Amino acid sequence: MQLGFYFDQTRCVGCYTCCVACKDWHDISPGPVHWRKVTCIEKGEFPTLFVAYLSTSCHHCETPACAKACPVEAIEKREADGIVLVNQETCVGSEVCGGLCKEACPYDAPQYGDEENAKMQKCDLCLERWSEGKKPICVESCPTRAMDAGLFDELKTKYGEAIEAAGHNYFTEVAPYIILKPKVSPFDI
Amino acid sequence: MSDQTTDSEKIIPTTCASHCGGTCLLKVHVKDRVITRTETDDGEEPQLRACLRGRALRQRVYSEDRILYPLKRIGMRGEGKFERISWDEATEKVAFEYKRVKDAHGALSFLYLSLAGDLGSLHTVNSLTRALSLAGGFSSWWAATSFHGGMFASHYTYGTVYCSNERADLLNSRLIIMWGWNPAATIGGTNTSWYLAQAKEQGTKIIVVDPVYTDSAATFADEWIPMLPGTDAAMLIAMAYVMITESLQDQKFIDTYSIGFEKFKDYVLGKEDGTPKTPSWAEAITKVPALTIENLAREYATEKPAAFMAGIGPGRTAYGEQYHRAAITLATMTGNVGIPGGDAAARAWESVLGGYPYPIFFGAALPPTPNPVDSTEPAFMFHENYPHIHYTKVADAILKGKEGGYPADYKSAFFVNTNYLVSLPNINKILKALHKLEFIAILEQFMTPTVKYADIVLPSSTYVEREDIAIGVGAGYYGFQNKIIDPRGESKPHNDIGKLLAEKLGVEDYDNNESDEDRLRMVAELAQIPDYDAFKKKGIYRIPRDEPYVAFKEQIEDPENNPFLTPSGKIEIFSKQIEEMGKDNLPPIPKYIEPWEGPNDPLAKRYPIQLVTNHFKRRANAQFETMPWLRELVPQVLTLNAADAKARDIVNGDMVRVFNDRGETILPVEVTHRIMPGVANLPQGAWYEPDKKGIDRSGSANVLTKDAHSPAGSFPYNSVLVQIGKLVTV
Repeated sequence: MQLGFYFDQTRCVGCYTCCVACKDWHDISPGPVHWRKVTCIEKGEFPTLFVAYLSTSCHHCETPACAKACPVEAIEKREADGIVLVNQETCVGSEVCGGLCKEACPYDAPQYGDEENAKMQKCDLCLERWSEGKKPICVESCPTRAMDAGLFDELKTKYGEAIEAAGHNYFTEVAPYIILKPKVSPFDI
Repeated sequence: MSDQTTDSEKIIPTTCASHCGGTCLLKVHVKDRVITRTETDDGEEPQLRACLRGRALRQRVYSEDRILYPLKRIGMRGEGKFERISWDEATEKVAFEYKRVKDAHGALSFLYLSLAGDLGSLHTVNSLTRALSLAGGFSSWWAATSFHGGMFASHYTYGTVYCSNERADLLNSRLIIMWGWNPAATIGGTNTSWYLAQAKEQGTKIIVVDPVYTDSAATFADEWIPMLPGTDAAMLIAMAYVMITESLQDQKFIDTYSIGFEKFKDYVLGKEDGTPKTPSWAEAITKVPALTIENLAREYATEKPAAFMAGIGPGRTAYGEQYHRAAITLATMTGNVGIPGGDAAARAWESVLGGYPYPIFFGAALPPTPNPVDSTEPAFMFHENYPHIHYTKVADAILKGKEGGYPADYKSAFFVNTNYLVSLPNINKILKALHKLEFIAILEQFMTPTVKYADIVLPSSTYVEREDIAIGVGAGYYGFQNKIIDPRGESKPHNDIGKLLAEKLGVEDYDNNESDEDRLRMVAELAQIPDYDAFKKKGIYRIPRDEPYVAFKEQIEDPENNPFLTPSGKIEIFSKQIEEMGKDNLPPIPKYIEPWEGPNDPLAKRYPIQLVTNHFKRRANAQFETMPWLRELVPQVLTLNAADAKARDIVNGDMVRVFNDRGETILPVEVTHRIMPGVANLPQGAWYEPDKKGIDRSGSANVLTKDAHSPAGSFPYNSVLVQIGKLVTV
C-alpha cells in the first residue's frame, strides 16, 4: 500500500494556509523548518506573464534518496503505507553527518532546526491523523481545495497521471508519490 | 459543548471573525486550559475553511505582544515604557480625564476614535461608545476607511448598502470581471476563491482589471488588464460610450429600473462638456489600449449574466465614489442587477454587512447608543456628520482645533480597536497630534505602535476568551464564538470594560441588568436561530436557502411592489440627493474627475511613481502583523516594475527609500513584472517603526499617504505620488 499527495496547481492562490496549518499542527517554531513549502514560479515580462504556485512537502518516494544517504539508517520507508519516516533517536544530527539526507533529496524535504546538531525532521504525512480517519492537516486546510491525499492508486484514478508541474520535476530515480494538475505556462508551449 | 478526544483534550468550535474579509469556522484543541492546535471546518461542503490568519490563532492568542494588564505610561510618549496598574486605577483615571475635559471644555473636546476590530455582536466598540455616550458624549469620526466610496455610491444609487449576492452565485455567471479585487489575499467572504476556482473550471471567463498582477489575477484571470490607479472611472465611462454608440445597452432594463440615464448619456457622448468619452480618450488617461476597452465593453454588454465584482481598493482614491457610481451604472446598463449570475457592482467586500440581508448587524447585542452631541442621525456614516470629523482629518483637527475651523479644541482622547497611528493617512502628522493631546487612553489587545503613545492602556481579550456571535461574510450563516480559554492575564472582554468604565463615569443604566448571555440569546432570537444550545455546540448556523441569495431580485422581478429604497424608487444614475449636497467635484451623475496625486498632477514631476497600498495576504489591515508564522512566509517589500527599477539602478532585494513631502520609509524592494510601469505597491498595515532619525523602517505605507478625503468621504490610500531611490549608506 502506498499513500501519496495530490496538488492542483491551477487552484493554488499562494495563500500559505497549508504551511501555517502544518506548523500549528506539528508545533513547529517559526524559523528554518518548513515541512511544507509554497514556492512561486514567475515567467515572462509585463504584461505577458505566467505565475504559478507550488505547494510541496516530502513526497514519500518509492526509492527515497534521503534513506539511501543516511549513514545510520535512521530513515525508513514503511511497508504498511509507504510513508517515509525518520527516527530521530537514531539520527545522529546534521553536524555529525553533514546533513547527507537533505543534500540527497531533490525536493529539499528534510529539514533541520537552528538548534545545535539538529536532528532531521520532515513531513510524516500526518501519520497520526489517518488513524482517526482524517487526511493530512494541509489537505484539510486548503481554502480552494487544491490538495488531496490518499492511496496513490486511487489518486491516479481520480485525478489522472500527471506527475510534473511548473516548478516540480519528476525524478525517476526516487519516484515521488505526488499527482499534480499542472498549470500550463504559455511560454513552454 | 465539546467533543472529548482524550481525558483532558477538548475540541471547541469558534468563528474567526477578524478583519480579514471572511468568517471561518475553527475547531480549537485545548488541553489544561491552553490552546494546543487548531483545525478548521471538516464537515459537509461548503465548509467554511479558515485562511492562514485564522490558522495562526495560537500565536495570536499567546503573542508576546499581548497586553495582559492595565498599564500606565512611565516613559516618554512613544517609548513604550509602562508599569502595571489595577483595573480600578486605570478606569478611574480614564473616567477622571473624561469628566475633567468635559467639565472644563465641553464634551466635544473629548475625542473618541474607534475602528471595527474583531467582528462580533457583543464585545465591540459599542460597549465603550455606550459608556461615554451615557456619560455625556464626545467628538468622534465619520466615514468608513475601507469602503466609504462604495458605501456612498450604493446608498445613493440603490438606496441601500446591502448590494451583494452570496458568493455561491458566482457559479451562475458566464463572465466575471474582477475590478481591483484580489480575494486571494483579501478573502472577500469565506470560500470566495473556491467559488472562483470552480467558476473558472466550468468555463466562466474571468477578466481582472488591476494595476497589479495579483495572486487572484495569476490564478483566475483569462485576461489581465493593467490600468493606472485612480483612473477607473475613465475606463468605465469609456465602456459606457462603446455600449451606447454600438447600442449594446439593455435599454428596457434601464427604462424600467433606473432614472437619469439620458443625463449620463449626454455626458458620455460629450454633449454636456464637448468631450466624447471615447476609448481613445480613456486610453490616454488609463494606459489601457482603446481596443481593449472596446472589447471589454462588448463582452460585458453581451455575455449575460455577468458579475462585475467591484473591489473597494479603486474606491480608496481621490474621487473613489465616481468609480463605484460608474460601476453600478454599467451593471444597470447591462441589465445585470438582481439576476442570478449577475452582480450589482456596488462593492465586492461587504464585511460587517455580510453579503446577506441579515436581520441583525455587527454589534447587535449592544446596539449603538445615541451620542448626545450628534446633530444628525448617524446613518452608518454615509455622509458628513457634524460635529464629528472625517477620520483623515482627525490629526489636523487635534493640531488646529477651533482656529482651524473645527468644532472644538481637542484635549484628550480614547482609542478603541484602532491602530490609529498605523491605519490612517499621514503618520507624521498623526504623531504630532498624539504628542499634543493632554491624555490618551487606549483599549487594545496588542502593544501596537499606537499603544506606545497611551497614558493608560486597557487590555482587551480576544475572541477565544469570551462568548460572542459573528455574522457570516459571503454566505448566510452565523458563527458562535465559544469561550475556549480564560482571558489571558487580566485582559477583559469589551463589555466588561464598558461596564467598569460606566461605573467610574457615574453611569447607572449601562446594562439594564441584562447579562451577556441574555444579550446573546436575544441576538440569536432576532437572527431566528432555532436552537441556541445546538448553535453553540456546533459553532455554526446556516440560514436555510434553496439557491444563493441575489441582491435586488425582488426589485427586478416585481418592480411595482418592490421599489428600490431611493427617493425615486429606482436605481438613481442621476441622484438629486447628491445634486442637493452642492459639493464641488461631487456630480449627480458618475463622472471621471482627474485625481490629485494621479499621473497628471504637477507633483508627478517630483514624485513620478503612483503608489498603491494593497491589502496584504498575511495581515488584515494592521492585524496579525507580529505573528512569526505569518511574518516568515512573505516579507514586507515594495514591488516595483523592472523598467522603473532599472531607471533607478535598483536591483531585486536592494533597500530602497520611498518618499514624498509627507514622509519616508525604507524597506527592501522586489523588482517584478507583476505591476505596471509607473506604479509601485506597498502593502498597507505594517507597524510603523521609526529609526533614530524618525524614518520608518517597517514599510508602513501611511507615512506616505495624504490626510485628505474625497468630496463624498473616500479615503485616498491609493492616490499617492512618491519617488523611489536606492538607499545609499554612507
